[in-house]
Amino acid sequence: MSTWVRWSAPLVAAIALTAPVHAVQYLTIGAAQKLAFPAATRFAEAHVVYRPADIAAIQRISGQPVRTRGEQVWKALAGDRLLGFFILDYVIGKHLVIDYAVSLEPDGRVRRVDVLEYREAYGGEIRNPSWLAQFVGKRSESVLEVNKDIRNISGATLSSRHVTEGVKRVLALYEVRLK
Amino acid sequence: MKSVSSRLARCRPLLGTFVEITAAGQDADVVEKSIEAAFEAVRRVHHLMSFHDPDSDVSRLNRARPGEAIVVDAWTRDVLEISTELERTSKGSFNIGVAPALQRLGLLPCSQEPPPALAMPAATAAIELLADKRVCKREPECRVDLGGIAKGYAVDRAVEALHGYGIQGGVVNAGGDLAAFGDEDQVVAIRDPRDPARSLCRVAIKDAALASSGPTFDPLDWSAPRRCAILHPRTGASVRGVCGASVRASSCLIADALTKVVMIQGVAALDVLEHYKASALLVMASGEVAVTGAWRGAYAVAT
Repeated sequence: MSTWVRWSAPLVAAIALTAPVHAVQYLTIGAAQKLAFPAATRFAEAHVVYRPADIAAIQRISGQPVRTRGEQVWKALAGDRLLGFFILDYVIGKHLVIDYAVSLEPDGRVRRVDVLEYREAYGGEIRNPSWLAQFVGKRSESVLEVNKDIRNISGATLSSRHVTEGVKRVLALYEVRLK
Repeated sequence: MKSVSSRLARCRPLLGTFVEITAAGQDADVVEKSIEAAFEAVRRVHHLMSFHDPDSDVSRLNRARPGEAIVVDAWTRDVLEISTELERTSKGSFNIGVAPALQRLGLLPCSQEPPPALAMPAATAAIELLADKRVCKREPECRVDLGGIAKGYAVDRAVEALHGYGIQGGVVNAGGDLAAFGDEDQVVAIRDPRDPARSLCRVAIKDAALASSGPTFDPLDWSAPRRCAILHPRTGASVRGVCGASVRASSCLIADALTKVVMIQGVAALDVLEHYKASALLVMASGEVAVTGAWRGAYAVAT
């Protein structure tokens, strides 16, 4: 018969110092494009710079704020045939950023969503905003000190709500500028 | 024949969280294909068991009239069957009929009128599993939410997909509910449920699953109010005495479901844990942390 054992956690302080941030680059832009559209022969840049009316329309359709001046968009093409759109987007928290890509069918249906780069802090340094500010908008190869031992975190359920909201904004961009 | 081993990691937003799949094998193309197949399994579970998707098996069952037989996917039927067994084993603590209570608290969206306040009906009494993948509900008020178990099931199906491609080692992690297989120990940091900015400890797992429950946590907004979506089946209120639990089991489905039982029953969950040969770490609201003897024996906390 097993029982519960009271457990104290003397390791907390040490872990907070050695595991400042969990950051993974899953895919480069090029690799994500190939994965989403294996049949494409090329990806043509079709980046969008918002006009003032676009921002209002996207916010109205999606119900989400627009915080960027435009969006990085590529057309996936097989010869001249349009296979779909590849849109690189970011969701931004107070201190952390998630880069992800939305791949759309030519008619605007979501084909898939891939996370390209994910950063998440779980060390004590999160308390210091300026420490975290250095990571905003940077890719992992630049300055992130990543603890290589820790790839997995278990705990309170992570919410991907911000990405879901970002996809709504990307779909509104399709309605306003790509359709 | 390529001799160099390839290890790939991919991540997609699914099941309301981030699902990360890591796999290693000889051939990078095969590894990539196996990960695609594993995500397809997760997506299928998401599509079948989402409370939010009006076309899901769960939504069709929730809309059905009492006594009306609904044909569901074999996977949905699987999860419903194990859920009712878990409800019996846990003496009602695990309850997939929790949806109306979550709707009343604003923790699940309401497309229909929120049901009147009443105790959660036991799903074993409210749902009848018939032959040929048919299911019917007996009580009109019954609304099923598989949110407490579908993630674990999805992880198990994804692992199965990786095995189907002969993958030697891999990890499937659905927002902290994870399973690992292969020769290598996987080090997992367990987040402190009282403060998501800290980790409580690290554990090493191999050929096992680990799941955790606690207040929902948004990686991009630390200041967002965190609410616990685990309710006491008799009172319908959020659990208070326990603020987080992690469970290790042989399948992620069992680990996922048992975190809810431990959150609700606290130290009294020992019998259920032993029944499923699972071990647990429990963080009490008082700040005390307790682990089962099996947890302590199975993996010394790695430093």
